[in-house]
Amino acid sequence: MIRLQDYTGISPKADLQLIYKLSDRLSKKRFLHINSTKSGGGVAEILNRMTPLLDGLGLAVRWETIEGDQRFFSITKKIHNALQGLQEVFTDDMWAYHEAINAKNAETLDLDADVVFVHDPQPVPLIKFRRSGLWIWRCHIDVSNPVREVWERISTYAGSYDAAIFSVSKFAQQMSIDEFIITPTIDPLSDKNRDLTEAEVAEVADRFGIPRDKPTLLQVSRFDRFKDPNGVIRAYRLVKKYNDCRLVLAGSSATDDPEGDAVIREVKEFAGNDPDIHILLLPAFSDRDINALQRMATVVLQKSLKEGFGLTVTEAMWKGRPVIGGNVGGIPSQIISGVNGFLVNSEEGAAFRIRQILNDPAMAKGLGDNARQYVRNNFLITRQIRDYLFVWYAMLNRGRTVMEM
Amino acid sequence: MQPFVFKQCTNILKATQRRAVTIRELMSGISEVSEASIFHHTYQYFLKGHMLEYTNDFAQWVGEALEEKTLSEHLAIIDPYAYDKIADLRTRLVGVIEDYLGHFPEPRPALAGNEFHFNESATIVFPTGIVAHNLAEFLQGLKYVDSSSIYYHFYEGRSRGVYGPDDFSTWLSEKANEPELSGRLRHIDPFMYDIEGMRKLIVQIVEQKVQKDMESL
Repeated sequence: MIRLQDYTGISPKADLQLIYKLSDRLSKKRFLHINSTKSGGGVAEILNRMTPLLDGLGLAVRWETIEGDQRFFSITKKIHNALQGLQEVFTDDMWAYHEAINAKNAETLDLDADVVFVHDPQPVPLIKFRRSGLWIWRCHIDVSNPVREVWERISTYAGSYDAAIFSVSKFAQQMSIDEFIITPTIDPLSDKNRDLTEAEVAEVADRFGIPRDKPTLLQVSRFDRFKDPNGVIRAYRLVKKYNDCRLVLAGSSATDDPEGDAVIREVKEFAGNDPDIHILLLPAFSDRDINALQRMATVVLQKSLKEGFGLTVTEAMWKGRPVIGGNVGGIPSQIISGVNGFLVNSEEGAAFRIRQILNDPAMAKGLGDNARQYVRNNFLITRQIRDYLFVWYAMLNRGRTVMEM
Repeated sequence: MQPFVFKQCTNILKATQRRAVTIRELMSGISEVSEASIFHHTYQYFLKGHMLEYTNDFAQWVGEALEEKTLSEHLAIIDPYAYDKIADLRTRLVGVIEDYLGHFPEPRPALAGNEFHFNESATIVFPTGIVAHNLAEFLQGLKYVDSSSIYYHFYEGRSRGVYGPDDFSTWLSEKANEPELSGRLRHIDPFMYDIEGMRKLIVQIVEQKVQKDMESL
């Protein structure tokens, strides 16, 4: 089982020291996480790693999930979409069902704890059934531009919590409770991010038929128009005139996304028969393959037109790659343009920065080194654990802006 | 000699839920937000660990999101350590924007997604476990402490209680009997380096003194 000590020498020592200090103060206290699934998605991925780590620190940590039927999850999917700005149709009956299923879960779940972190909108109504402790709503999704009436419904629950946590400042909403900002993180010891040997990287390149004879540009993302895969191809073509290179577009086949197949067709058609463009459809759980693709890339792109936080940017930066990201969503909180990567606003801008990087390996290395250091200081899972404990401790010491330990 | 205890600090961001899209909204925000928010966007700018041509978040936003370079330069030159009270710093920031608006056309609003978000922070201060009993140990500590310790002592130290010098130079002059070395640290321009650059510079200055002491009879 993974332990906090395993992060020694990887994560900043100060983060580990503070985690030990805080868990000492909160020792034996009951820490409950509630979300809607044990597998699939970034929230479950992080909780899977975080729960045993917290347990090993002497906290009485539990992770519960709510149960629901297909109707419940189809309603929560619509809520999820509407909170991200998509118009969806809701009836009073749907809202009543959302709350009723949460009420049913409240009957069977043990909600007694010293602190309860409720993740995302699916279980947000559970606050109506609080028994004890501090209740904190952890919103992982981009709610910067929600459908207003849907946000108002959700905020009737969220506003009853003691505090809320959002991933980026621009996602925070007007509420009369404390709101903290905690960015998402990656786990440096997971298959997606751990160090790979050169042989492991070469095996993946061979298996996907990617010769390593020229510089490789890479974008890893779902095949989704907001990720602008055709814009990436246009940028590659602008680069190719003077700089021979390959382009790899790798992403899931997005079976749950009805538009996914159409986008893949468009991308393939637009790529034509260029032998230097590789379009890879990766099955779920391709973490190690993605890791290898990122490590073999000369430049990593995330030329999104709309983005949540953009953890693929963090992953590539952790591998010391120079990353060119669209100036949207959470990407500007990761890339300081010209320092640890480049932010761009157009495919022309992307092409220019790719050319700069390909022609100046020393600069590329500098950007990559700074990128890895920036991720080390800001976006590793240990920092998220530190911040969750920090929020808990800060809520126990409300009114104090400086706390000496 | 009283030892130097290296401490470090960690911040967590809190949203004030106030934002600005235009320069006038930024100005009224600066007038009305908490002192903790002004402190965060000015003094704590150095905690971000990188240095562009700005020295506070307001200057950075005006330069990057509004693309108003002249005003950005005027805001960036404001030295927060020149003010004993945050209220005075706030007045200065507002005054600079007002003055600009009196002489230049109003800048365009920020594009969607590039709004300014007023934040505050909560801070935990805790020991690094490193204590220096002499100059050589002090030098070793400087080399290996977390960067937040350099921030805490060299930047935040100036704004703790009465605004004054940093913790390093205070210890050197008052406890370590090193007034000349202390004076050299006090003359470093704190706005021209990021934290790691600052660490290198301080280490270099202290190391020269340690070497000189080692070689002297």
